[in-house]
Amino acid sequence: MELTVVLVIAVALGFDYVNGFHDAANSIATVVSTRVLSPRQAVLWAAFFNFAAFLVFGTKVASTIANDVVAQDVLSIGVIFAGLVGAISWDLITFVFGLPTSSSHALVGGIAGAAVAKAGFAVLIGEGLRKIGVFIILSPLIGLAIGFILTLVIFWVFHRYENIDRLNRGFRIGQLFSAAAFSLGHGANDAQKTMGVILALLIASGHVAAGAPIPLWVVLSAHIAIALGTLTGGWRIVKTMGSKITRLQPVGGVAAESGGAMTLFATSAAGIPVSTTHTITGAIVGVGAARRLSAVRWGVAGRVVWAWVLTIPGAFAISWLSFQVVDLFS
Amino acid sequence: MDRRAIFFLGAAIVCFVLVPLSDGYGWVAMTVGVVYVVLALGSWLDARSHRRL
Repeated sequence: MELTVVLVIAVALGFDYVNGFHDAANSIATVVSTRVLSPRQAVLWAAFFNFAAFLVFGTKVASTIANDVVAQDVLSIGVIFAGLVGAISWDLITFVFGLPTSSSHALVGGIAGAAVAKAGFAVLIGEGLRKIGVFIILSPLIGLAIGFILTLVIFWVFHRYENIDRLNRGFRIGQLFSAAAFSLGHGANDAQKTMGVILALLIASGHVAAGAPIPLWVVLSAHIAIALGTLTGGWRIVKTMGSKITRLQPVGGVAAESGGAMTLFATSAAGIPVSTTHTITGAIVGVGAARRLSAVRWGVAGRVVWAWVLTIPGAFAISWLSFQVVDLFS
Repeated sequence: MDRRAIFFLGAAIVCFVLVPLSDGYGWVAMTVGVVYVVLALGSWLDARSHRRL
């Protein structure tokens, strides 16, 4: 394998690591903010289930990223490298500002930006991008609805229960499982995006035939990278997710994580790359809205929405510029 | 009118607008939209019953 291919694979795994680092907050913010686990225990818990996800889910999301964003023939080592540079740069910029934006959409915007820089807008695949675009909006709405409904069901089932301390203890244990489920969904959906990039690279460089299954070493290395990223976690975003959007009790944590996990399981099974960040943010808002709408800090939620809107254009622009630089040297 | 019901109605409208854009996944947008209509109705009835108490 050529050195450039190896280097770009290393950058792709670096993106996966940053993704885990950036999105660790999504899996563990509610467990940490409700003090069910210490930060250290929470990252270990989440990282384990990020890695274990490869045993549970297929690789449909990876196939969507590799085949449905831009035309296969435009994907070269330079395009993929520039796309990754855009996505990683955008993730780091939003990390500095503590904004929980989507690494997934940064990746889609990045690959699209670099491909357009190489061959113009005609290389974009409208159907695939429309599917991803629709679920940018739908995934938080699905998470919100499930988070809201689960909270109502839990309140309805337990409203006559008098031993509140015991009930809270029960939900604290329940949160371990819901956080594990969400981490599993996070590992499944997000690690597959990196697999998709590496697959596209291997096809572009002639190491794998188009339509061939993803090599096991790609699957394993993507899951290891995201788990390592989660282990080193991003506390700035944990704070925004865990306490700034709405205050959560263990019962709310269970509802939010379960709502997020259900959405991720369904979309991963359908091969739709969605944002774990969007999904859990929607679910947390749903839990807050079940109490009352004013329990949600809409100013913070609105800031997050702006970051979502800017993610694809932002990563697109950085990648477009990166490709111009790559093109100068190639 | 109840602010939460208005919020849910807004979410339902967004979902219905997405139906024709969703290609093979229009049914997902439609189902989520219907769920939001039901939530809006429930929220409005809940607020109405609270006002009467």
